[in-house]
Amino acid sequence: MSKYIPGQPLTAVVERIEIQKLRQGDNLILGFSIGGGIDQDPGQNPFTNDKTDKGIYVTRITEKGPADVAGLREGDKIMQVNGWDMTMVTHDKARKTLTKKNQDVVRLLVTRRSLEEAVKQSMGKKQ
Amino acid sequence: MFCRNQTARATVARGSALEMEIRRGRFRKSVFLDTSQDSDIQKKIDHEIRMRDGACKLLAACSQKDQTLEAAKSLQTCSTRIMAYMSELQRMKEAQVMQKVTRRSSDAGPMEDRLPCKGKVAISDLRIPLMWKDTEYFKNKGELHRCAVFCLLQLGGEIFDTDMVIVDRTLTDICFDNTIVFNEASPGFELRVELYSCCSEDDYSAGSTPRKLASKLSSSLGRSAGKKLRAAMEPGPCSPVSNGGAGPLLLPVPSVPGPKYHLLAHTSLSLLHVQDSFRTHDLTISGNEECSYWLPLYGSMCCRLAAQPHCMTQQMMNGCLKVKQLGGDPQSWKKVYAVVKGTSLFCYHQQEDVEANVEPAFTIAVNKETRIRASEKDPHSKVQNICISNQYGGEEVTHSLTTDSREDTHRWMEAFWQHFYDMSQWKQCCDDVMKIELPSPRKPAPVTPKQGSLYHEMVIESSNDLSTTVSDILARRMQELELRSHLGTSPTWMSVFEENSPKSTVRPRPCTSRLSGHSPCIPHRPPRSPLSPHRCPQLSLLSSDASLTSDSDSHCSTSPCFHRHGWPEPSSNFPLGSSSPCRLRPRTLSLDAKLSTLRGRVYGGGGTLQCPCQPPPSSLLTPFPISSCSPRSQRSTQTTLSCSSSTSSNSSSNSEGSHSLESSEGAPFSRPSPARRSLRNLKARLDPRNWLQSQV
Repeated sequence: MSKYIPGQPLTAVVERIEIQKLRQGDNLILGFSIGGGIDQDPGQNPFTNDKTDKGIYVTRITEKGPADVAGLREGDKIMQVNGWDMTMVTHDKARKTLTKKNQDVVRLLVTRRSLEEAVKQSMGKKQ
Repeated sequence: MFCRNQTARATVARGSALEMEIRRGRFRKSVFLDTSQDSDIQKKIDHEIRMRDGACKLLAACSQKDQTLEAAKSLQTCSTRIMAYMSELQRMKEAQVMQKVTRRSSDAGPMEDRLPCKGKVAISDLRIPLMWKDTEYFKNKGELHRCAVFCLLQLGGEIFDTDMVIVDRTLTDICFDNTIVFNEASPGFELRVELYSCCSEDDYSAGSTPRKLASKLSSSLGRSAGKKLRAAMEPGPCSPVSNGGAGPLLLPVPSVPGPKYHLLAHTSLSLLHVQDSFRTHDLTISGNEECSYWLPLYGSMCCRLAAQPHCMTQQMMNGCLKVKQLGGDPQSWKKVYAVVKGTSLFCYHQQEDVEANVEPAFTIAVNKETRIRASEKDPHSKVQNICISNQYGGEEVTHSLTTDSREDTHRWMEAFWQHFYDMSQWKQCCDDVMKIELPSPRKPAPVTPKQGSLYHEMVIESSNDLSTTVSDILARRMQELELRSHLGTSPTWMSVFEENSPKSTVRPRPCTSRLSGHSPCIPHRPPRSPLSPHRCPQLSLLSSDASLTSDSDSHCSTSPCFHRHGWPEPSSNFPLGSSSPCRLRPRTLSLDAKLSTLRGRVYGGGGTLQCPCQPPPSSLLTPFPISSCSPRSQRSTQTTLSCSSSTSSNSSSNSEGSHSLESSEGAPFSRPSPARRSLRNLKARLDPRNWLQSQV
């Protein structure tokens, strides 16, 4: 994942993931857990090498849950949710954005290291 | 004193050009003289001159404010030391000359005057109260006027400085924690304490601005700022010469750019002020409010000045004697090995006992009340006896001592006279031995191991005995620390482990008052270094006041550890607080207790999420059993939240750590009730040390 430099535009290779929320009684479930946020301690994030990265990361995926089915993987960094930026939000904001009651579907833009590498490789091949 | 007919030795007239040159270090005095005493001092002078040069270079080279202040302080100390050594040298010269003169004029024999014994004088716990104007003290805005201060302590030829302390209006006292011990002090000592200060403004580096610029700036910066700047630049019109007033400054103080310390206050302490407890002394303040280095001193200084004369701590005389109690059987002479020390004459059966620290056979008091005299010649022997009389209770008890020869008797009498003389000179110091703590070897700046807290090294497996793990790690840590920093004393957290009481609430740093209730305990430092996830459970310290009820009484302190999800699973999991009852107990901080309770706890305590609430001692004292659904005030639920490991089946999601793996598997998609959720979030949000995870 590219390092965030304040004030500079951030580029990343992302994958679009569309998750259909699952209704469970009164709740809408996505089936994963997130960690991180600008109000959290990035040093404890086990999914990134850059220990200053305060982004939102997927920390756990419930098996066979909506997120799993949609292709979300553990360790993914969520860049956008339904167009809302997730790279510079508090943890709670991120959670709230994902769990909006009136939305049945969330479209995420996520990035992961393997994506970057795949692109690099393909670019390498081109040249 | 210059004697023209002195041809044996070259003496240097005071104030002469030659003397000036010598003091400037251009000539060695040893060129002119050849005594060994002088060369000692000369060596010291050379050493100090070298130190001073080093300090000058450092001052010129360093850029950080702290370093410049420290370097300026060393410079000041070195200069003062050089002055002191020079004057001592001068005095010795004079004494020699005087001796020679008197010897020539009158063939006087060796001096009869008795000299009292020397002693150790220690000054510690210096505290100088400040008297800020109340407006100043409560001011919240405006620049913080800061001064760097330190004390120079001089006794005889020894000069020591304390550590430097930065003082601003948030401090009420200037405290120096150093203990300074002077080793060879005579009873008529004069301990001069000088407080030097230097203003340390943050907004400009006063030291390095050249004068021209400073004057230019002073016109453009505005009157007060410019005035300060200029004042900081100059040596200060309001400061007297900072050499303790010992005479004209013959030694040119090297003019280096950088902060200059000025004498702010001084005082002199002597034998009268020695006491085994703290006393307040008056300070003479120099300088006034206009000076840049000014601090509003209250005018007094508290310290503990203790003295240990050698007669109290060392053996003044020892030898073999025969002792008899007067009035007893004339044949009952006891052969003893006697030692005069402190206020007693210790009589041992044999000499070896002294080293072996065996209790003496008996002890005869030799104090201010004792009377010693030589008695008439004993008809049986040729020597005089020495009689020692003491008042024990209402009775007078006399012991008789006899030696083998007249010379010995004379020596013993001489020793006793000397001892009495010492005691009369040292006065109150001879009543009891005053305790002097030797200053510990200088500690380096607090060692903060970069790799995070102790607990990151912990490998806890379910079968391990926790206490041995902890003690192993601690032992390793101690070794590391000792090797690294030669610490004489253990780091602060070790003290916690020395406590053995189960209810010990000792904590090196209070870790309560966080509103969030998450009070991470001391050893937790946010791990900045790359955490190695391959290590077995990284236990970051999410404290839980809640689960501080300790069942066992081991003596480590920490708060329970949360297993961080995503990292390698430990075999032991730490679900917290599901079913322990609330107890009103003082905080017991013991790692063992924590972990064993945690391990013993049963998961999935069913419906109610009970929380053993250990509210912070400062706030709530009543425990709250928290039922699952009632929204509570912030404080109480904070304690719940911390242990809400969501082991109950209906609350599988977790905000802090995912230790609820098992239970969450069982009910993967359930969510906690909104009330609790929001409260949990609130608390979790308030604590920046976590890395929260939320289930969505």
